[in-house]
Amino acid sequence: MNFKSRPAVALLSLSLAAIALTGCSEESNAGTGGSDKAGACDPADVKLVGQVRNESNPYEASWLDGGDAFAKSVDLEQQRLTYDGDSTKQQEQITQLLAGDTDCLVMNILPNGDSDTPPIVEQAQEAGAYLVTQWNKPADLNVTDYDHWISHITYNGVESGKQIGDALAEAIGGSGGIIALQGILDTGAAKDRFAGLEESLAANPDVKLLDQQTANFSRAEALEVTKTLLTKHGDDVKGIWAANDDMALGALEALKAAGKEGEIAVVGIDAVPDALTAIESGAMTATVSSDGPWQGGIGLAAGYCVATGELDVADIADEDRAWFAEQFLIQQDNVAEYLSPATDEADFECDNVFSRSQGAIS
Amino acid sequence: MTSPAEDVDVAAARPQPRRGVSLRDSGPPLALVVIFVAFSALSSDFRSIGNVQNIMDTAAVLAVVTCGITFVLMMGSIDLSAPGVMGAAAIAVALLVANNRNGNELGVIGILLAILLAAALGCVSGLALVLLKVPSFMTTLGVSAVGLGLATLMFNGVQPNITDGTLASWPVERLLGLSYLTWIAFACVLVGYLIQRYTRLGRYAFAIGGAEEVLALSGVKVAPYKVAVFTLAGAFYGLAGVMVTSQLSAGLVQAGKGYDFAAITAAVVGGTLLTGGRGGILHSAVGVLIVMVLTNGLVQVGVSPYWQGGVQGLIVVAAVAAAVLPQRRRNQVTK
Repeated sequence: MNFKSRPAVALLSLSLAAIALTGCSEESNAGTGGSDKAGACDPADVKLVGQVRNESNPYEASWLDGGDAFAKSVDLEQQRLTYDGDSTKQQEQITQLLAGDTDCLVMNILPNGDSDTPPIVEQAQEAGAYLVTQWNKPADLNVTDYDHWISHITYNGVESGKQIGDALAEAIGGSGGIIALQGILDTGAAKDRFAGLEESLAANPDVKLLDQQTANFSRAEALEVTKTLLTKHGDDVKGIWAANDDMALGALEALKAAGKEGEIAVVGIDAVPDALTAIESGAMTATVSSDGPWQGGIGLAAGYCVATGELDVADIADEDRAWFAEQFLIQQDNVAEYLSPATDEADFECDNVFSRSQGAIS
Repeated sequence: MTSPAEDVDVAAARPQPRRGVSLRDSGPPLALVVIFVAFSALSSDFRSIGNVQNIMDTAAVLAVVTCGITFVLMMGSIDLSAPGVMGAAAIAVALLVANNRNGNELGVIGILLAILLAAALGCVSGLALVLLKVPSFMTTLGVSAVGLGLATLMFNGVQPNITDGTLASWPVERLLGLSYLTWIAFACVLVGYLIQRYTRLGRYAFAIGGAEEVLALSGVKVAPYKVAVFTLAGAFYGLAGVMVTSQLSAGLVQAGKGYDFAAITAAVVGGTLLTGGRGGILHSAVGVLIVMVLTNGLVQVGVSPYWQGGVQGLIVVAAVAAAVLPQRRRNQVTK
């Protein structure tokens, strides 16, 4: 019986605490001339939510693990949400979440696509929940127009495409033919990363792009496309540039089937675990990491800092509201550091949440 | 009235009209030849031996999936469960043979267990169809979701990579210039054809697609055959999932992504009608080759990737139109 009534007791004590806290904060607000409702939350009342597409993707699973690590560091729990890459499902989950108690709600969201971000932002703003979004946002939607949308974090795809392009050029000795596997052609990530490769090619005039095809970010499609391109270009192919690691790993399998494993350099982006092992063994040349666990933690950390009043949205500089985060080129010499993904609590301290900024999104 | 004992004769009498229309079925093979010759003329890379090997190798998985789906289509049902069933089989086999996640090392038994799991999922589709009377479109979509769910549970956040010697050899080792995977696909087409041509299951699948009411009124219990067909299809998807795992050396939840519609496209391009009762394994095999030759040819000829999707779609519609042209009746209704 004691056991059965536990939720009720918990609810009661929570609401009591909430009432007490509201009282406190009103007092403190009155004391400081309080105009701001933000920062009213007791750390124990903050509710943390991380939402990604699915946990069957190692990168997104590590993102949620990073969120858990941060939650644990402040003695809270993260609610893990996944929406299977289905935009409708994502919106439903958000609506459901915001229908509950939203006063101290912190959300770290990976929107499915650019167009999914505006409704999430509008709803969070209206409900008064603290929101951090990552990767996808329409260019004309300004974070500074909202006071509950704390920040939008993304990565410079042109930069990462160029980084691995340069690493590939170096690996093949600065000259020779390469083929490129593009992502889903109508996504910003695919466009930017390819633009980065083109910049790299301009800087390495002796590297020639023999062919470029899309493999839709898929390992299985990359296997087939690479096989076809290998029969088309034969021994002219010295390197393979892939817009993500899954495609790079598919290309590696194609090389294995063709008996060319180790002869052709392969690069990708995302730093998935299999790619790191491949880099360690020398089968793959390079990849770029956005540091998934950090992404999972940082959004919650920024929201937590604002919710508890350690950070005021009004004080955050405009260039920290929508910014490019630092990404890391991984090659054989530094792969060991990334093999076991971990978070550093220091990154999540309120003074440090914007420390990885590489500048505002232009 | 026919008594149940004479059913076999009824079914045996049916092939005759099919033999009569075999001339009319020459559309798809003709389309294949035309497309092949056209690409050969346009690109010297396309007509190389190496590339023909490559086309056959890349067609292997789709061919096996299409074998399964063809039986379902012949019955006039539809099957969208391939992505889930293949995903479940792919992860299951990766965890059962030698891998980096656990100490299992079941080898061939692991492969058979994965196919058995897939067959069981197919069986669920069939049972839901005949017992609960849910349309196959919905049941198979549901079973696909169940399969993906199972796969995600087994996946558990860490990619299982395989180290099993047998599976690793399938895409790499060659016999007479073709990879083992391709020979497995050939074997599947052959087995599928034998089932379709010489077993009661295959003939009833045709008959159910042609006129299920007539069959039922003749006293044939249709339900068990429907379940059996879905089970058989599930087994084919399972094998295809295992083949994808061997190609990628890793079990992927998304192993079967897109294969449902690719296989239906291939079957229809080859002349297996969605209304049932028409076509068959060999038709579908030709359809698979048409689709693969197209995909490969557009890359070899150098069509920009931005154009390929659209161009491929147009050619497929044109090929289907050409294939069904001889079969079209004047007052046929197309829905």
